[in-house]
Amino acid sequence: MKLPVFVVMAVLLAVPAHAAYAPGGTAYTKRLQTSLLAEPAPLASVVAKLQYALKLKVVEVRGAWVRVSAGGNTGWVFAGNLAEQKPAENSDALEHMGVTASETSASAAARPLAPAAVDYADRRGLGQARHDVEWLEHTCDAIPAADVDAYKQTQKKGEFQ
Amino acid sequence: MNRFRSFLFALGVLAATAGLHAGFGGFDLSKLADPKTADTVKNGAKALKGLTGIGPEEERVIGGSVALEIVGTYGGLVRDEAVLRRVNLIGRTLAGCSDRPELTWRFGVLNSDTVNAFSAPGGYVFITRGLYALADDDDQLAGILAHEIVHVTKRHALKIVERSEALDGGISLVAQQNSKVRATQAQLQQFDLGIDKIIDTLFKAGFDPKTEYEADSVGRDLATTTGYSRDGLRQVLQKLQQEHLASSKKVFSTHPPLPERIRRL
Repeated sequence: MKLPVFVVMAVLLAVPAHAAYAPGGTAYTKRLQTSLLAEPAPLASVVAKLQYALKLKVVEVRGAWVRVSAGGNTGWVFAGNLAEQKPAENSDALEHMGVTASETSASAAARPLAPAAVDYADRRGLGQARHDVEWLEHTCDAIPAADVDAYKQTQKKGEFQ
Repeated sequence: MNRFRSFLFALGVLAATAGLHAGFGGFDLSKLADPKTADTVKNGAKALKGLTGIGPEEERVIGGSVALEIVGTYGGLVRDEAVLRRVNLIGRTLAGCSDRPELTWRFGVLNSDTVNAFSAPGGYVFITRGLYALADDDDQLAGILAHEIVHVTKRHALKIVERSEALDGGISLVAQQNSKVRATQAQLQQFDLGIDKIIDTLFKAGFDPKTEYEADSVGRDLATTTGYSRDGLRQVLQKLQQEHLASSKKVFSTHPPLPERIRRL
């Protein structure tokens, strides 16, 4: 027997993507900025921008999306953008990495081998490995965040699943 | 002096030197005995620390050094940009849903026909050419990468050197150095010993089984949340077991037995 599409959809949407998140529970933001969305969809309008390591109250779980409230705002966040536990790093520590709240993950990239690691390579005779790792970093950093987003959309991964 | 306390002290100096003095290409040995510089280093090392003992800048130094050892030991890197792009698109998609999305993640393929994967603090993930070839599809590759990503997000390698540390004691040792040259050599030696400890775990002893099972379990959840199959890693492990590859070449030699990992997934 063929089930009506809306029944199948209802069942699918009722399955929590992450068992850890349940109504009444808590979740934390883990990105320097997290968009709180009006609808459980990646391109929905933004209700608010949530700061790093913010404690949220879970209101509802629908598939891969979690409805949360914080500071008087309620909206949707993709489960992959939430953490079960408060992030270990404080924002001061992240700022010492050259990452500020106004930057995205993409602009925070392109960090080469630390000078102390380069010195380690020289000390340990790892010259060829250094060239390899520097090539890796250069080649990886040349892949823009937009390409990752496009991959997620075409392959239906992350918030686009 | 506890050698790991010394390691953290040395690391604090190295990381502070690298992180606080932009454009500095090496270690300025002459400044280490200057009280003002010592204070700067001490304060800098403290400021660099997050809530977990080893801060992001220090993690970057450790991670880079460990990555160099991995690449140096396992035949260098496969310089195929199409392969690298595929691994990085999948890897960064997973890492974006991990507990540390703000790290600078890099994924590389080691030019070795052994079957293994490694990660280094700071966001370096490596898979051998032998294991890459065994993954039939993106789901299986994602299962492998997710396992390694979890080693980084859970700071498993860093815990090797954190376990027996007393951070404040290590940092305060900066005031006890009498000979700037001798002190620096000692710092470098202790730093290198700390890296050796991590490398020994990655290449020989392996993480303890509980740590590996955690990486399997949390990695499976990460792959699922990201939209990949829940069974990707399990399928790879089953394939290895069925093909009896374990008897012919080194397969996950630093990990717990395959049957037990499969049973738990």
